[in-house]
Amino acid sequence: MRRAALVAGGLVVLVVAAVTYPGALAVSMIARLVPPPLASAGQPGLLPWLHVEHPRNGLPYIADDRARLVLLHGATPASLLDFGGPGRSSPDAPPVYSIDPADYAARCPEPSAASRYPPLCQADLSQMAALGFNSLRLTLSWSLLEPVRGQFSQLYLDRVAQVVDWARSVGIYVIIDMHQNAYSRFVGPGKGVDLAYNSGAPDWATITDGMPSQVFLDSQREANLAVFQAFTNFWYNRSGIQDEYIATIAFLGKRFKDDSTVIGYSLFNEPQNGWNLPPGFEDLLLFPFYRRVIDAMTGIHDGLPCPTGNFLPAICGYADLGVHDLRHLFFLEPGLLRQITDFPTHLGLPVSSYPNLVLDIHAYTHGYTIDKLIFNQDPAHASYPWGGYDQTYSLAEREAKAIRAALFVSEFGNDPNLDSLLLAGQLLEQEKHNVGFAFWTWKENGGSHSWGMFDAPKTGVSPMPGCLRPARERLLARVYPRATSDRAVTYHYDADTGAFNLSANGRAGDPPTVVSIPPEVRGTVDVAGAEATVTQPGLVGGRVVSVTPAGGPFSITVAPAQIALTGCG
Amino acid sequence: MLGLLGLPFGVFAPFAVWTGARSLRRIRAARGALSGETSALCGLVAGLLGLATLIAGAAYWFLAS
Repeated sequence: MRRAALVAGGLVVLVVAAVTYPGALAVSMIARLVPPPLASAGQPGLLPWLHVEHPRNGLPYIADDRARLVLLHGATPASLLDFGGPGRSSPDAPPVYSIDPADYAARCPEPSAASRYPPLCQADLSQMAALGFNSLRLTLSWSLLEPVRGQFSQLYLDRVAQVVDWARSVGIYVIIDMHQNAYSRFVGPGKGVDLAYNSGAPDWATITDGMPSQVFLDSQREANLAVFQAFTNFWYNRSGIQDEYIATIAFLGKRFKDDSTVIGYSLFNEPQNGWNLPPGFEDLLLFPFYRRVIDAMTGIHDGLPCPTGNFLPAICGYADLGVHDLRHLFFLEPGLLRQITDFPTHLGLPVSSYPNLVLDIHAYTHGYTIDKLIFNQDPAHASYPWGGYDQTYSLAEREAKAIRAALFVSEFGNDPNLDSLLLAGQLLEQEKHNVGFAFWTWKENGGSHSWGMFDAPKTGVSPMPGCLRPARERLLARVYPRATSDRAVTYHYDADTGAFNLSANGRAGDPPTVVSIPPEVRGTVDVAGAEATVTQPGLVGGRVVSVTPAGGPFSITVAPAQIALTGCG
Repeated sequence: MLGLLGLPFGVFAPFAVWTGARSLRRIRAARGALSGETSALCGLVAGLLGLATLIAGAAYWFLAS
């Protein structure tokens, strides 16, 4: 009898251990030790394939086909998202902007007052390129990709492909982002809820179990009981909705598998923990979910085979969904609480044996960190984060190194009135840490507090965005190294004077360091210690400096000169 | 129960080891007057497993990050 009780007790301990931290740790360590899969060379495209380099004892970094560190600068348009709002409560309500590529072929549709964002058109890509951007984070909604369970929208996919084609034509990479805001536009109306700010899951995948939709923290759309419940059901794969989400990403993956313009996939925007606490949320639910998506997309098997359709514990891998994509990057965002605290909320366990991983953080220091959200402190005199702007970057580097991923800032932005403080502060940190960015947001309709790079029109009547905001153009149209062989490169651009300096080391025979100078910056270029060529690509304007190291240290400087803002030009 | 809690929430694991070991000692010292040896042993094992995982996870973070 006692023996039977001991066996039963031991089995319970074993099962609970397998589905919690001991199991998660074991699977992570096995993934850490398994040799990465070999990828065949991709079909050559206009843009070189990117991957993640793993230097010995160093922080992994995004690299091109010549193993150069690549810095991505770009913005995030939001008009392909499926927000809610008046008249949009039905799953059958058509998107505010057409998802038919044909409607964008000849002309750009008129902006609609029903959306906070103007439509994304081909001219936008040219405008991005003219600012020196080399990438774009393209936000998508699951509700438009799979409006009916099991039925994917070929039309929406074509619209995404259209934007990718536009990007390719001006030399811009695309990060495809599976976006959401407060889980879904279908969480239901209620006190304090403005569904015009909600996007993400389709109606059939929004399971709130009757929880009231009510915002209980001033104007924070995520602080909603129905949103908490819907997220929890997603993380526990209730009714197999997580399986459908993974199938949706595979649907995208099959289309872009051979396209080097697409850098990769951001698997989940701002993952909210639901009713789960950190660090278990990330270590036992979120990052294992990422591992399963990677298994499905690549065909590698980092977890155990488990039946789908129900809760999948951390030890579970996922079936090969037939994409076999071994070249694209996967952008993994930590939980939303990390964004609020600027502090790691997970153990940093390895996620996958797949090498092309990027930890992408949202840097909203003093905008959405606790000093602002809870204590409403003035950003200029905030008492948190204790490590200032650097805190989130320094800690994110450690997190990225632990999970064996490169680092990227997939969102940052602020009220335009705070550009000189917040935007300038973030950009300075990104330079210090050699990390690229996607600015939130590209264009946004409306008044002076909208966050877009473009201002409201002078008339203030039309919803259409007006001119480039001078401070944003000054700060974000930057001189920066697009590619360099020296991953320890140091550089700084002074947005007040237009001056730039870069110091690096190179061996003879190293591929060139390429510096992008947007048209706004007019200073004279000077290069010491290396051979340089300066070109003016007609397609996008500005200058490109290509510096071939002769061996040893070299420097690139741009002399101060008045910055020529284009504004409305 | 504390031992099982220590598996998803490592913070409970040291307490599970402490209470599990203490209970087991008292039960064995009572020479049959106290029952629950099996559950105390399971709690102790679960606590040890949770504690080992906590230490290994934290060590990994400090070594790898």
